[in-house]
Amino acid sequence: MSNTKLFELSIADAGRKLRDGSITSTALTEDALSRIAAIDPALDSFITVTADRARADAVAADVAFVKGIDNGPMQGVPYALKDIYDTAGIRSTCHSKLRLDHVPAADSVVESKFKAQGAVLLGKLATHEFALGGPSFDLPFPPARNPWNREHIPGGSSSGSGAAVAAGLVRMAMGSDTGGSIRGPAAYCGTVGLKPTYGLVSRRGVFPLSTTLDHCGPLSWTVEDSAIALQTIAGYDALDPASVDIPIPSYLDGLDRGVDGLRIGLPRHFFAEAEDVSAEVVAAIDRAAERLAKLGAVVEEITLPDYDLFNACGRIIMYTEAFAIHEQDYQRRPLDFGQLTYLRMTLGAFVTGADIQQAMRLRRELSRTVNLQLKNYDALITASALIPAPAFADIDPNSPPNWPIQTMPFNVTGNPAMSIPTGFSASGLPLSMQIIGRAFDESMVLRIGAAFESATGLSGRRPALAQG
Amino acid sequence: MPETPDEAALALEFDVLAKRAGLAIPEDRKAALFAGFKDLRRMLATMRQPRTAADEPAGTFSIQSVTRGL
Repeated sequence: MSNTKLFELSIADAGRKLRDGSITSTALTEDALSRIAAIDPALDSFITVTADRARADAVAADVAFVKGIDNGPMQGVPYALKDIYDTAGIRSTCHSKLRLDHVPAADSVVESKFKAQGAVLLGKLATHEFALGGPSFDLPFPPARNPWNREHIPGGSSSGSGAAVAAGLVRMAMGSDTGGSIRGPAAYCGTVGLKPTYGLVSRRGVFPLSTTLDHCGPLSWTVEDSAIALQTIAGYDALDPASVDIPIPSYLDGLDRGVDGLRIGLPRHFFAEAEDVSAEVVAAIDRAAERLAKLGAVVEEITLPDYDLFNACGRIIMYTEAFAIHEQDYQRRPLDFGQLTYLRMTLGAFVTGADIQQAMRLRRELSRTVNLQLKNYDALITASALIPAPAFADIDPNSPPNWPIQTMPFNVTGNPAMSIPTGFSASGLPLSMQIIGRAFDESMVLRIGAAFESATGLSGRRPALAQG
Repeated sequence: MPETPDEAALALEFDVLAKRAGLAIPEDRKAALFAGFKDLRRMLATMRQPRTAADEPAGTFSIQSVTRGL
């Protein structure tokens, strides 16, 4: 540990050192700001760096530690937010020309929870426009790049969150996930990305993409750090109509219990029979299943409804709800949207009332089927991305948006789902899988993820760019 | 949903629905959007399955979620 650089400290490790006085929040923060200044010009992961706010937060945290005040595990720890989270007095752009001058008067609920713990806000992160349109070069800010290879995309829409965490600019960044926008960047950037159960984390103050599919969640370098972030942000909010009033467990308790005796379902047909799936992705998930079995889990192949049903259901709902939010701007100032945003979101204008009702009925059926399987299994594992991160050059802005990721099913069902690294491709890009749990059983998802992470040791490998 | 219409019928449907939505689609985005529309039509056909009125409507309304924040 003595050779560990500051940026390599997890939230848990940094927290211990902050509390024993061997480091200060100011030192963590200055290190992070220096790394952002040195590395981010090559990544474009940040839209706004809140250096003054970060330094003030850090001083306040250091004073609190000296006084023996401890407001929680995020105290003194730097973090960053996707630029769709409202931050009082700090510009929140949604990466869009339409919101360039938007300075919210109030914080999002998530931001208020980090602030209450005394965490240190480093800044606001790049996204796809309105969490949908990207990666694009016709927006006010450039798209974030993948730290493992800058010519490749970091995934989206929480593109800056994935890139910043993978590059070691920040230990944890908040993303949002409507069809895979946390788990996709996590998969492409080799980080952990957790989409909690629908209703566990308030979305109030986060610009909506699709209100019945939107989830807020963390991307981090370790599973434990995602557990700490979730502990901070989970909880009932009467003003988010989707919020569910349930007791919040300790997500850290039991994280080290392993997987011995757990039953894990593997819908292998989902990804192994998918068009254009990478053999490396399939092999890595097969190896992951074998490893979990060696750790004591019972892994069995199961069958779910066709992936295309989940995909169609989710996309029809997403386009429809998204277009409804932006309808007036599409009528009055369509050319202010980037091309990709326009081509994707406008599709919602072509969905009829009967179509959307049928999608909602199908959604209920699919959710029931998945959760019936989860009565027999503690969790499921399947692919996150079907291929390693594509190159920017391979993105055709005029093609229909059929992304090679399989994350949408668990936005449709609302179950918790986490993307976690499984290895690397021959080209050096991260590979990944998802762990899916029962509704509100994030503890099980995190427990399996922690066991797998510990067994593989993959979190020890960082992109060369992160070494500075 | 009936079988997917031919190209001309799809183009007509596309224009009608765009007009109904109050959209003036920029010419340079029209071809790509039409390609997306055809993909959407494929997804709509995939999604349609036999259901009867006895199937529970999924788009339910919860008065509790409206009043709890008041």
